[in-house]
Order: sequence, then C-alpha cells, then structure tokens
Amino acid sequence: MAARILIVEDNKANLALVEYLLTTAGHQTLVATDGVEAVRLARQTQPDLVLCDLQVPVLDGYEVLEQLRGDPELSGLPVVAVTAFSMRGDRAYVLEAGFEGYIPKPIEPEKFVEQVEAYLRPELRSRRE
Amino acid sequence: MTADLGRLLFEEWPEAIIATAADGRTLFWNRAAESIFGYTSAEAVNRLLRDLIVPEDRIHEEARILAETLASGQSTHESIRRAKNGSLIHVDATKKAIRGPDGALSVVISTEKDVTHLKVLRDARLLGARFGDLLESMPDGIVMVGSNGRIALANSRAAQLFGYDREELRTLQIEKLLPQRYRETHAGHRTGFFAQPHVREMGAGLELYGLRKDGSEFAVSISLSPLPAAEGGALVLAAIRDITERKQFERALEEKRAELKRANQAKGRFLAAMSHQLRTPLNAVLGFTGTLLMKLPGPLTRDQEKQLKMVQSGARHLLSLIDDLLDLAKIEAGTIELRAEPTLCAELVEDVAGSLRPLAKGRGLTLEVLTPDEELSVRVDQRALRQIVLNLVNNAVNFTDHGGIRIHLTRGLRAGTPTVEISVADTGIGIAAEDLGKLFTAFSRLDAARGRPSEGTGLGLHLSQKLAEALGGRILVLSEPGKGSTFTLVLPQA
Repeated sequence: MAARILIVEDNKANLALVEYLLTTAGHQTLVATDGVEAVRLARQTQPDLVLCDLQVPVLDGYEVLEQLRGDPELSGLPVVAVTAFSMRGDRAYVLEAGFEGYIPKPIEPEKFVEQVEAYLRPELRSRRE
Repeated sequence: MTADLGRLLFEEWPEAIIATAADGRTLFWNRAAESIFGYTSAEAVNRLLRDLIVPEDRIHEEARILAETLASGQSTHESIRRAKNGSLIHVDATKKAIRGPDGALSVVISTEKDVTHLKVLRDARLLGARFGDLLESMPDGIVMVGSNGRIALANSRAAQLFGYDREELRTLQIEKLLPQRYRETHAGHRTGFFAQPHVREMGAGLELYGLRKDGSEFAVSISLSPLPAAEGGALVLAAIRDITERKQFERALEEKRAELKRANQAKGRFLAAMSHQLRTPLNAVLGFTGTLLMKLPGPLTRDQEKQLKMVQSGARHLLSLIDDLLDLAKIEAGTIELRAEPTLCAELVEDVAGSLRPLAKGRGLTLEVLTPDEELSVRVDQRALRQIVLNLVNNAVNFTDHGGIRIHLTRGLRAGTPTVEISVADTGIGIAAEDLGKLFTAFSRLDAARGRPSEGTGLGLHLSQKLAEALGGRILVLSEPGKGSTFTLVLPQA
C-alpha cells in the first residue's frame, strides 16, 4: 500500500529529486513550497508523513512543526526534517525541537526511501527487498 | 575698644592659642588652633585637651610638662600633637599658668606653633643634599612628602610632569597634584599610610591620574616608599610615572583585539551560511547522479556510467571540502561543539581500518591494525576522533605505492601525562625535512604530492591537527623520504 507524503521544499531541483525517489518507490506525493501552504495542505489532506525542509519561506520548518503539533486532528502525524544543516550537533538540535526524524542533505539516493519509510506504519512501506 | 582689640588679637594670632581650666577642660581655642588641629572652637571647648590632640604615647610627657608649668609658672617645649584627621603635627609650645588672687590655679594658657613643615623641610634638605643628584638622574618624577601632605622635595622630572617650577612644588600640598575628585580620599589614604608605612609598588593600585598646573590630567602609575627621617617624622618618597602613552597603546590594542574577534566571528558566520548554501545545490547534483547510477530511469551505456561516476566523485569531493571548511570555521570561531564520551579506541580504529581496507586492497597495499591486549578508552568526541584517524589512514593509503600501512594503538607517557597514541605508519613516498613544517598548513599540498591519485581537499591535515588540539591532543610526524612516514595522534588520557 502506498503512502501519501507531503513534501515541504522550496528548491525546485531538490523537490524534483525527492518526488522522483518517492513516486518511483510507489508513493503518492503532495507538495508545498512554503510553510503556510504546508500547514493548509496537511490539514486538508491528512497525509501519512511530512518531509519538511527547515528553511522554507513564510513559516520555517520549526514554525510549521509547531502549527501541526497544535492541531488535535493531526496528532500522530510524523514530521521529518530534511535539511542541509547537517553538521555536528544539528541532529540533536532538530530532534530536540520535536521532529520525529532527521535526514541530512545531501540525501543519499540509495538509502533515502528506506530512511523515509522507517517513519511510516509498516503496512505503508514499499517492501522493496 | 581695647577689649575688642584684645579679643581680635587672641582670635587671629598666627599661632594656636589654647586656654584650659584647672580641671584640664578647654576654655578657649582660637582660629589658628582650629586650622592646625582641625577641630572647631565649638568642638574643642569643654573637652579635655588630652582627649583632643595628645597622642597616646605622649600623655605622660604632657602631664610632666603641665606639672613643670605649674611648678615654675611657665614652660617651653617641643611636642607632637594628633590632628582631627589623624596626622601628627610637630609643635613648639609655651605654657603659662595663671593663678587667682588666692593663689589657686585659674587658667593655663598655651601657644603652640606648627613646626612640622619646618622639620620636614629640614629633613628634606638633608636628604636632598645627600641624594639630590641621584633623584635628578631618575627617569620618574620623584616627590618627598611629609605626614602633613606638604611636598618637601621634588626632582626636575616631577616639576616637568606636573608643569610647575621645582620651587613652586616645594611646600605645595600633594593633593593639589590630584584631580579634585580624588583629593579627599587621598588625604585619608595618606594619613593611613603614615600610620602604617609600607612599600607600595608601581602599578599595584587602581587607576590614578595626575593634575597639571594648567588643569589637564594625565594617567600615572605611582610607587611609594617610606623614608624614616630624623626630626620631622616620616617622609614618603613617591615615584611618579606618566603612563599616558602606555594607556593609549593598551586601549588601541584592546580595540584591535575586539575588532579582530568581531571580524573572526563574522567570518565564521559567513562560512557557516555559505557552506549551507553550497550544500543545497549539491543535493540535487549528488541525488540525480545517484538515481541515474541506480539506473532508476533506465539502463546506462558503459561510457555514461563511467562519466556519471566521475561527476559523482567530483561532487563528493566538493562536499567534503565544504564540510571541512565549515568544521574549520567552527573551530576558529570557537563554536565547535564537542561531546566527550568514553570511547573504546581499538573498536574505533578497527572500524576506520575496515572502511578503508577496500581502498588499500585496490591499490595493492596491506592494512594492518595492532592493538594491545588491554582495553584502551579515552573520553573524546567520537566523531572528531574518527575524522582524524580516517584522515591519517586515508592519507597513508593515498601516498603509498608499495608495501602497506600499519596502525598501532598504544599507551604512552609524555611529560608525565598518560596518553593514548594512535600511530599510522606507511611505506610511502615520505616527506622531506624542509617540508615537514608546511605539512599542517591549509591548502599546502607539497610538491611531492603533485600528481598523486589522491582526492585530498588540502584541508585534511590542517583540520585534523586543529581537531586534535580541540580534543586536548596533537599530531606528531616522523618521516624519511622514500621510506615512509609515521603520523601519531597523541591524546591525553584524562
């Protein structure tokens, strides 16, 4: 069963990359290019997972997270940070802020789908062995 | 009219005139007494003279003089008084006992002349005669001051510093050479100093300023030495140095330092932001190169695959450059976050060796790890330690064509401190003695390294050494051209 994944990313090339990898693995993707749109789409579509860049316009990743966490209808929605802030200490900072997971950029295309699916309910994973 | 004149004479007489009753209480205290001893007439009248101005160690003497006065009707003597502010005052005194018609004592009158300054001047003249030439040759301004705060002797340098003639300085109150705001506290310090004279070295005190005759101020440093003198009590010798220039240097230096710090921090922030910006486009480059090489969109020809791998390798190189640069920026800005945790060295070394063994094998080299039987553990940031070891082993592999690399984990002792040492020895091209100094400099790839297959960033050793220092250790190197090199990471075992 495919998952519905909301991608929050304002860089076109990076968005294309993540979309390509996830749709190739059989998932359905939704796209928001700024924080406000991300929150609106999440409420409207109730996705299975949010992949969120931290530096998106209007609301940044941390603010998006705060809004989603404040919405009772979205409780249990996993939000994973995908970020180019990937130096020593950044991971701990991001997880402390309340993100379910942290995937550093540049992403590793060979591992990316597996990394993302780790945050999905088992029945939503693509099971590519 | 005559009574008024008499009163006026008493009041304004330049010497202290004090009258005491038979019981020792003060009846009269003129203006000169007020100014010499510091007590107003209102404060002095009705008090026992003994309580007012007789120092404790002079009470017996005072009683003896009084007895003598009563016996002979009059006496003249030298004595020492204590003024209200605590300073000691030398006086020449004449006492006269006045009796009533019945012969009973009615009043003792005493005139007392302050001769402190005369005595101080006399002492100063003696010292001046003996040491005048010496004082003139001193580079600092020198003044000798009596316990009353009057300058007894000053050298030319002091006069020059404060903008006075030497003669003007003599007898000047020392507080006149201080800005108004310091005068009162200084007079207090001075009295305290004469009560307990001691040497105070230059620069030992707080910030001090001198006041020139023209009203301008200048920063000074002052040292004080007590000079026991024969007659006038103690003198203090003050050596005064104009430190305006030094202060200016210090201030300029401080400003420069702050400016450098700001610039360095700005540089760190800039590099951090830049690294982040540079990683973003690399994400797409590395990502799509990866998807193509994974053949997700479809099969590749051999040439396409070969060329894509070159793109990938170039992009990865660029990424490691950016990472190294950001790490360096953080170290230099002092914002690197290191988490010290117990680390099993053998495990980490084996792990690094394992990751580089395929590379070594591909170049036909052996890669050996020697660890001691005992377990060696250090408290360090694991990521930093791994980065250093990885860099050293990677270099060894890249600069060796025949033979192999041996990683040696040992316990050591340097300058009394127990250490854990990880040495990486290769049988490679080695490093010329004159090049050893350049080895840890950023982007200083040595001539010998030109044309190597290495994809080194030119930052590796520089960063490794900085990281080693951040961990409290350092990297040492021994090398013989043509035979090989040994890099040793020394970590204190805290």
